[in-house]
Amino acid sequence: MKELKILYLYPDILELYGDFGNIQVLKYRLEKRGINVEITPYSIGDNPPNFNDYDLVFAGGGADQEQGILAKDLIKYKDNIKEAVNNGVFFLLICGAYQLFGKYYKDVEGNIIPGLDIFPYYTEAINDRKKRCIGNIVIDVNLDGKETKVIGFGNHGGQTYDVNTPFGKVLYGNGNKFRDEMEGFFLKNVIATYLHGPLLSKNPELTDFIIKHCLDRKYNENIILEPLDDVFENLCRKQLLDRFLSKEKKP
Amino acid sequence: MKNFFIILIMKILNLCLKICGKHGGNFLGKIAYSWNPNIFKYFKVHCPVIAVTATNGKTMTNNAIGYVFKSAGKKVVSNIEGNNMETGILSTILKNCSLTGKIKADYLVFEVDEGYVPVVFKDFPLSTLVILDFFRDQLDRNGEVETLILKINEFLKTYNGNLILNTDDPNVARLGKANPDNKNIYYFSVEKYDFASLEQKEAGEGKFCPFCNTRLEYEYYQYSHIGKFRCPNCDYGNNEIYKLATNVNLKERSFKVDDITYKIRFNSIYNIYNLVAVIACVSLYNIDTNVIKSALSNFVLNNGRLEEVSINGVPTIINLAKNPTGSNVSLRILNEDDDEKELLFVLNDNLADGLDVSWIWDINFDNLNNVTKIVTSGTRAYDIAIRIKTSGFDASKIEPYLDLHEAVESLYKTNTKKYVIANYTALQPTRKELKL
Repeated sequence: MKELKILYLYPDILELYGDFGNIQVLKYRLEKRGINVEITPYSIGDNPPNFNDYDLVFAGGGADQEQGILAKDLIKYKDNIKEAVNNGVFFLLICGAYQLFGKYYKDVEGNIIPGLDIFPYYTEAINDRKKRCIGNIVIDVNLDGKETKVIGFGNHGGQTYDVNTPFGKVLYGNGNKFRDEMEGFFLKNVIATYLHGPLLSKNPELTDFIIKHCLDRKYNENIILEPLDDVFENLCRKQLLDRFLSKEKKP
Repeated sequence: MKNFFIILIMKILNLCLKICGKHGGNFLGKIAYSWNPNIFKYFKVHCPVIAVTATNGKTMTNNAIGYVFKSAGKKVVSNIEGNNMETGILSTILKNCSLTGKIKADYLVFEVDEGYVPVVFKDFPLSTLVILDFFRDQLDRNGEVETLILKINEFLKTYNGNLILNTDDPNVARLGKANPDNKNIYYFSVEKYDFASLEQKEAGEGKFCPFCNTRLEYEYYQYSHIGKFRCPNCDYGNNEIYKLATNVNLKERSFKVDDITYKIRFNSIYNIYNLVAVIACVSLYNIDTNVIKSALSNFVLNNGRLEEVSINGVPTIINLAKNPTGSNVSLRILNEDDDEKELLFVLNDNLADGLDVSWIWDINFDNLNNVTKIVTSGTRAYDIAIRIKTSGFDASKIEPYLDLHEAVESLYKTNTKKYVIANYTALQPTRKELKL
């Protein structure tokens, strides 16, 4: 029986905005296909994980104050994480986790919280509450040559700069910055994005892309995933895409 | 003089509204506040002012406190309809004051939005503040919970009145230390109940000690992050309890405080907390325990807050749930009931609901007890259907309908007991569809 190993970072701290749902969706779509999934939570105080031992690493967004506490913990694993990224372990990073993997985060008071500095972008908070990026988002994403629209919800004050390889092109809502054209950060085996929703709940194609990527790497094959009953997901996508994209581009 | 005329105009407007058969909501307060934001200073209050704030349970607790005072024969002025921002409270005051700003009442009892406590009571007296809980709630509108708590903490630094706090919520109990000079802090608690757990079952806040950032230790969780906690480093959480509910029996709908048994009309742990807060509050005003007992045995809310009705002979329980904890409490009641039942979940994403519906993933839909069908509706009917499906509930037993009328029709095809959960803007349309 095939199996995927997921490392779930700080599930008790990075747990705002329902990001936990991404893990649930992954588990659901794997188990429906008879693929075993082992989810290992890691948080402050637990035994140090070896990131190379996993197929997928996931981390979500959290409250500002708690995020500061864990940044100090995560930085201990910087070299190990870098190695895992280079080895092709898949990283799915949402919101706060997206920011933490960059160079730094500068808060409203101007304090600099150093990031893991694994990717070249950086984030600066803005004081203007009106420019906080809050709202539904639709982006156009290219997954190995296949165009698809990804739907989610953004809620972040930080503006992320210097992203050269964005995750998608904004069709509706905000991107890396207030009214930005580009959203997220994308490498072959890394998706970092501001999209909550949770991200994977309304985007089965994206979820399957990640699953296939992890399985292909682990079992060295070109797997064809068995299709699942996505009636609700498809109805949901149709409803929301109609609703958001029939309006003007910016909400 | 200016305030005199503002009140006069508001009185006339109120009369016009009455003639038109309108309640007005926060309309009067909105105008008066825009004309003079300092108008709160003008009122002359000669009676205790009690305020209730929380994420969940404000309306119930506020109305129950008012109900107990009324049962004791007191005149109460209160915003029982739930208009709980500064303009709503101002509307209530304007309707009940003389032209010179005198408010004739034995007690003023207000539910106040968590964000508006410092605004309303900047220039208005406050005798007792009851704080029940803080949960994540519409993050896209309200921001993070911590910001809100810090604002209230700041306000409490100079507050010396009675402060009634839930000692089992680490986010609430911490406010007892905001002003070390205030000797009027009263903590309430509920003894471990039958469905309490060692592990946290639902999303919650306050994992770390607010004073030393150490991870808090829990002896047990009642629901969400409410439970018996302690900081292993600085001993935060060890408070002297003023009122403690014991012998909680949800089937019998009863509990004890100070060895007196209270029979109530509610059957959830969350309501027990609210009602202990009520008892703590009114006991500070020497209300006779027999009066409290009889008042609480009659007190109900008929506005979709755990409303129990019969629809064409089918027992139906309706509850408002605008955030994860509200929904989790509803599902706790559902799971603690062994009867076969069907669930309707109505989820909207209008502005007043918060546009972000990702909070539904913080609802615990695991292992629903004897639920044979789930109908979903609202503007986000499909989102909630996906959520429930992913939790493992059989997708073939889930029916999503964007149209509420169709959803209700499908729900009442059988005579099985119904549970209805609706979020903020979904509640009244749902009640209307149910002909309530």
